[in-house]
Formats: sequence, C-alpha cells, structure tokens
Amino acid sequence: MDRLFPEKLLNIITIDALEGKLVDSFRKYGASGYTVLRAQGEGSSGIRSDMTGFDANIMIKVIIPPDRLPAMLDSLERKIKKGHHLTVFIVDIDVLSPEKFDERMR
Amino acid sequence: MSSLSNLLLPAVLFFVLGVVARIVKSDLRFPPDLAKVLSIYLLMAIGLHGGYALANADLFIALNSVMWALIMGFSLPIIGYVILLVSRKVSLLDAAAISAHYGSVSAGTFLTAIAYLDHAGIEYENYPLIMLAIMETPAIVVGLLLAAKARQTIAAREAKAGIVQDATDDIDGDDNSFGHLLKDAFTNGSVVILMGSMIIGAIAIPSSMDKLEPFIEEIFMGVLCLFLFEMGHVAGQRLGDLRQVGVLLALFGIVMPLIGGVIGVYVGTYMLGFSIGGTTLVAVLAASASYIAVPPAMRLAVPEANPSYYLTLSLGITFPFNVIVGIPLFHKLAQVVTA
Repeated sequence: MDRLFPEKLLNIITIDALEGKLVDSFRKYGASGYTVLRAQGEGSSGIRSDMTGFDANIMIKVIIPPDRLPAMLDSLERKIKKGHHLTVFIVDIDVLSPEKFDERMR
Repeated sequence: MSSLSNLLLPAVLFFVLGVVARIVKSDLRFPPDLAKVLSIYLLMAIGLHGGYALANADLFIALNSVMWALIMGFSLPIIGYVILLVSRKVSLLDAAAISAHYGSVSAGTFLTAIAYLDHAGIEYENYPLIMLAIMETPAIVVGLLLAAKARQTIAAREAKAGIVQDATDDIDGDDNSFGHLLKDAFTNGSVVILMGSMIIGAIAIPSSMDKLEPFIEEIFMGVLCLFLFEMGHVAGQRLGDLRQVGVLLALFGIVMPLIGGVIGVYVGTYMLGFSIGGTTLVAVLAASASYIAVPPAMRLAVPEANPSYYLTLSLGITFPFNVIVGIPLFHKLAQVVTA
C-alpha cells in the first residue's frame, strides 16, 4: 500500500523516575514525540506493582525515523551501562503521514 | 500501656490485615493511586493541625528541633553505612543506598505513633512535625556522598587489579548533579504538602480553621486505617523478597531502628527537653526508614544498587517492626529515661 511509510517504533519499559531523563534524550536525538503509559510487572530487580507510587513503572513509545534510531540507541545503551534497568525493543511499523514524524519535538 | 494494646489499635490491626490478605493471596486489589491520595490527605491534615498548634511556637525550640533533625538526618545514614560495611553482606553501593533510607523518615510510622499517643491520651509537642519535614532530605545527600565515595573506592580497586573501565562520558548530560538531586529532594511532593499545610495552618484565620475540624480531626483515624491497610498489603508483597535479602541483612532492618530509636530518645529527652510523648515521636522519626522519597532518588542516583534490598528492608521489615514493636518500645524507653 503506497500510502503507508516505514518507521521504527521504539518501546522502553523502565521506572517512572527516569521519564524526565528519557524525554531529554528523545528531544536531543530527534524524536517527534512520545507516549507514556503506566505499567506494572516483575523482573530481575523485583516486583514493580505501582500500588503506592514509589515503585511505578512506565512504558514509553516513540516513533522515530530509521536514520535517527542509532544515536538514540547509543544514548539508551549508555544509561544501561550506568546501571539503569531499561527494557528496550524495536518494532518495524508503517505509518500514515510520515512528515509528522520528521518534525522534531520542541 | 502494654505493647499488646498497641497491637489492638484499629489502624495497626488493619495493617496486619493487609499483610494477611497478601499472604493468603486474596484477590483484594486497591485502586491505583489510592495510597497516594490517602497519604496526601494524611500529610495535609497533620500539617494543618500541627501548623495551627505551632503558630504560637517557641522559636528557639523550633530552631533547636530543626538543628537536631539535621544532625540525626546526616549522622544516621553514616552509622548504618558503617554497620553494613562491617557485616560485609552487601556491596559498597548497596550499603550507600540502604543507609540513605535509614536516615530519612516514614510518615506512615510517624502517623501510627500519633494514633498510639492519642489513643493512650499522652500529650506530645508539635515540634517533631517540623522534624518530619526536615528529615526527608539530609539522608539523601549523605547517601549520594557515600555512593560517590564508594564509586571512587571501586574504581581504585579495579585500577589496582588492572581492569580498565571505559570512561562513561556524560554525553547525555544526565549525570545527576548534586544541586539537581537536592532540588528534587526539597521539592518532593510530601515535603511540599507537609510544609505548605503547616504554613497554611499557622497563618489561616483561626475561626476558618474550625470549619476544617471534621476534615482534619474526625475522619483522620479512619483514613489512617485505610492507608495502613494498603501499606500492610504492600509490605506483605515485599515479604516474598526476604529470601533474597538473607537473615543477616534482614537483621539490619531491626537493629538499625533500635539504634535510631535509642538515639531519638536521647535527643528528645536531653537535647530538646520534650515530654514522654514528644520524645517517643522523635525516637520514631530516628527509627523509621523512608519508602517514598528515598527509593526513587536512589534509583536515579545509584542505579547500580539492588532495589530489592532497600525496599524489602524498609517496607518489609523496618516498617512493620516499628508499627508493631517499635512504637510501644520507644514509648516505654522514653518513660524509663524521663523517670
């Protein structure tokens, strides 16, 4: 279908305290926007139940043009090296109106 | 008052019920954010109440309380850090993160102590309330300093062993600057609500405060029951992580509040000259460990530390210990010392 255009969907699951820092990187590495969802789950660093707000997780979704992805991933990798727990995965997606995702966040 | 009668306070019973509900795997589930709403209410109510009472406070005692809150907030984490290092049970960075929790305070424990004193008809000063607001922060600062020191030590050790670390340049500009984390700590939600409500309580027209009486006084204990019910549930959840923590580290979760409590009784009685009630509150402050302000700060600033350790210790061990055993124990100790 020629009205659809390929983009990358970056998914990150992490602690809510990191949201501000991640948004800073999105801005710096050319994302057009992002969506944050509240999340709960369990992993190697214990349970994150989001019951009282001190152990809340978030899932962040960012659609980003493929050519801007490597720099963004480098930045995420640096965070992981510092010890932060980030679950990062990428999905190939097709979008309508790609110009929306070319525009950088202000 | 015997320790048994503390166990029979409705708020404490609800805490136990919360733990039990979790252990029997009840399908009980609190709506998200309920605890947040309840703790906002509790801090607001106690802040208004305390601020109203502190409007005529003695400035000297108030400043003295602030000074001792700072001294305890800065020194308790160092004591905890040394104990953890001697026990050799955790890494340096884990020790830094855990001890930061023990210098900070738990509003939930403080409120339970107020319920205990009210129930027993024991008078108490309102100055510990200022200390509650002050003591949230210093421990975070000490925790960061200890972590920075620990990183240096680790780097030096690795350099000696010939391990070359690739420099983690701060390209993203997200190394947590001291000032930034300090600002976060001071503008932490619970500090803002508590301090703000105290100021409102102190400057508002007294007659208008009377209208707030049902909000501040009459439903307070009921809300505290709900809050502790949920906290019991959360603490019960942490009990599952006890195995990971191990016996010796779990013991720290009991020994540290005992040390803090003794220091608190000493400070309350001799340094601040408080009554038995006020001294009990100071002891509870010194004995309690944070589970709201400090965990996110440590997550950000000391990501290398294992969060299971500090959350299980502060929520799964120290909080229940203080609520059930600590409060009556420190009250008894305050009585003995004063006598």
